[in-house]
Amino acid sequence: MASRTSARVRLIVSLVAALAILAPLAWLWQASLVPNSYSVMGMGHLDYGGGLVANHDHESTARSINDIVVDPARKADVRVDLVAEQQNLSIGGKSVPGYTLNGTSPGPMITAQQGQLIEVHLRNASVKAGIALHWHGVDVPAAMDGVAGVTQDEVPIGGEFTYRFVATQVGTYWYHSHQVSNEQVIGGLFGTLVVLPNAGRGEAVDVIAAAHTYGGMKTINGVTGDVRVPAKPGQQVRVRVINTDNGPIETWADTPFQVLATDGYAVNGPTDVTDHSMTVTAGGRADLGVTMPSDGKPVRVQVSKGTAVILGSGDPAAPPQPRTSLDLLSYGTPTMLSFDPAKANRRFDYSIGRRPGFVRGQPGLWWSINGHLYPDVPMYVVREGDIVIMHIDNHSGQLHPMHLHGHHAVVLSRNGVAATGSPWWIDSLNVLEDETYDIAFLADNPGIWLDHCHHLKHAAQGMVAHLMYEGVSTPYKVGGTANNRPE
Amino acid sequence: MRTAYRVLAFAIAAMVAIQAGAIGYAVFAQFNWIEEGGTFDKAAFDTGAPGTGAFMFHALFAGAVLLASLAMLIVSFFAKIPQGVRWALFVLIATIVQIALGVLSHLWAGIGALHGAAALVLFGVAVMAAMRARKPAAVEEPVTAEVA
Repeated sequence: MASRTSARVRLIVSLVAALAILAPLAWLWQASLVPNSYSVMGMGHLDYGGGLVANHDHESTARSINDIVVDPARKADVRVDLVAEQQNLSIGGKSVPGYTLNGTSPGPMITAQQGQLIEVHLRNASVKAGIALHWHGVDVPAAMDGVAGVTQDEVPIGGEFTYRFVATQVGTYWYHSHQVSNEQVIGGLFGTLVVLPNAGRGEAVDVIAAAHTYGGMKTINGVTGDVRVPAKPGQQVRVRVINTDNGPIETWADTPFQVLATDGYAVNGPTDVTDHSMTVTAGGRADLGVTMPSDGKPVRVQVSKGTAVILGSGDPAAPPQPRTSLDLLSYGTPTMLSFDPAKANRRFDYSIGRRPGFVRGQPGLWWSINGHLYPDVPMYVVREGDIVIMHIDNHSGQLHPMHLHGHHAVVLSRNGVAATGSPWWIDSLNVLEDETYDIAFLADNPGIWLDHCHHLKHAAQGMVAHLMYEGVSTPYKVGGTANNRPE
Repeated sequence: MRTAYRVLAFAIAAMVAIQAGAIGYAVFAQFNWIEEGGTFDKAAFDTGAPGTGAFMFHALFAGAVLLASLAMLIVSFFAKIPQGVRWALFVLIATIVQIALGVLSHLWAGIGALHGAAALVLFGVAVMAAMRARKPAAVEEPVTAEVA
C-alpha cells in the first residue's frame, strides 16, 4: 500500500517536473509565432524617444505611403528598363545559381546628373519568389523605397513596377532586391547608381568597383581577378567602392589615397592616407581618390585581399594589407552641419544583443533589439522636422552593418569619444562588437522605413526595426497573398 | 523509458562525434580553399565557400543536441534508473556549458580551446549515463550468513 502511494507520488512529481520544463518552452514558442500576414505598423512596441506621443489613428486619418511620390506630372530625365531573371551565372568559369537584371549581374549602371528625375521600369520575367528594388542610400520618397510588404507588394513573374525619384544628392549608390533579400542580393540581384554633379565629373578617370562574392568567389563588377583601367600619369582617379556583400571589406592602395566620400556624402578636407586601409561596411560605399604617379607607374587599389583595381599599365604586386584601418571619426576637417544635433528632441536606443529563445517558432540563439526578439522590436516614431539621436550599442558578439532607409545620419561619437573630423555621414554603419555609436539625423522624409542589419542573413533572422512617421500608414503587409518577404 | 534514456544518451554521444567531425572537415576544406588562392571572409562564408556549410551545420546542430539533452532529462523522470535524473542533469549541464563556450569563443578565440576540450567531457558524461541504463536495476541478492 505504502509502495503504491509512493509510486503515485513519484509519478506526480515526475509529471510536474516534466511540465515545469515543457510548459515555459511551449509558452515561449507560441508567443514567438507571427501571423501569416501582418503589417509592420502593428509590430513590436512604440518608442517615442522621449518626444511627443502621437495620436495613432492610422486607419482613418493617416496619409497612405502610396501618396508619398514625386510629382506624377513631372517628366523623367533618365529612363531605364530593367528585366529581372532567375538563371545561372558564369563566374570565373563556374556556373553559379543566381539572378540577372537585363541579362547581367550586376545589372546596368544607372547614371544621372544631380536634380534629374530617374524613372526605372522594372519587369519580373522569371524570379520565382518575386522581387522589389530598393535604392540603397538614396533618400527616395517613401512609396519608392522598394521594400516588399512595407512600401509595395512584391513584383511577381510577369508583374511590373515603376520607380520614380529625383537624384538630389551627388554620390555613389546601389540598388538591390528587398524581397527575400538575403537570397536575392547574394545571388546577384543588384546594380549600381551614380549621381554626378551638374558641373560634370570631378576626376579624369571615374571607376566603379562593386565588390560581390558569388559562390565564394570574389569579384569586382561581376568579374573575378583584377580590373584594369587605363590612366595617364598625373591624372586624378576616383574609385567608387561599393560593398554589396554581407560582411565588411578593407580597401587600400600601393600609393597614398584620399577618402573623397562615404555613403554618397563628400568628406570635407580629405588628407592622404598612407598606412591605413579603409573599411567599407556591408552595403556601404567609399569613393577613393588617387593621383597617378608622374613617373608612369601603375597604381594598385586592393578591394579586399582577393581582388584589385589596377590603374595604368603594368602588373604591380599586391601591397601588404595595413594592420589598422582609417578612423573616420577624426579624418578630414569639421564643417557646419545642415541641422543642429544639440537640438535633438527624440533619443532612441538601438541596443543589439543575442540570446536564446524562439523566433517564428524556431528555437535558437537569436539577435535581440533592446533585449527583445523579433517581432517584439521597437517601432521608432518620429514627426517630420524632428531632430533624432540614436544610440547604438552592440554586445551581441558579432559585427553588424546597420542600415537606415530613407535618411543619412551623421556620426556624433563612438564609445563616448566625440567626432573631430569632417562630418561623417552614413547610411550603413560598421558597428563592431562592444562598440557604441551616437548618430543623429533630421526626420525630413515621411514614410515607414526599415532600420536593419545589412548582413542580410541577420536581417532574415529578425534584426529589423522600423522608423515610422506620425500620420503615415501603409496598406501593404508582410506575408499574405502577395507573399511579401522583405528580408 | 529505460531504453529511450539509453538511446538518447548514446545519441548525444554520437552527436558530439558528428560535431567534432563537422569542424574537422570545415577547417581543412577552408584551409585547402585558401591554399588554392581563395579568399575567406564574411562574404565568402555567406556564399558557400568550401567548409562553410559544415560550420553552419555545427552551429545549428548544437540546438539538436540541446533538445536531445532536454528530452533525456524529461525521460529520466519516468525511467526509474538509479541516479538517472542526476546523470541526465549532468548531460544537460555539460551541453549548456559546451554551447556557452562555443558562443563565448566568438568574443575570445582562446575559449575555443576549452570548447574543443569540453566536447570530450560531454561525450564522456553521455556514455556514462548510457552505461547506467544498460540493464534493469539489479535486485540485491539477500545475503545469507552461513552458520558454522
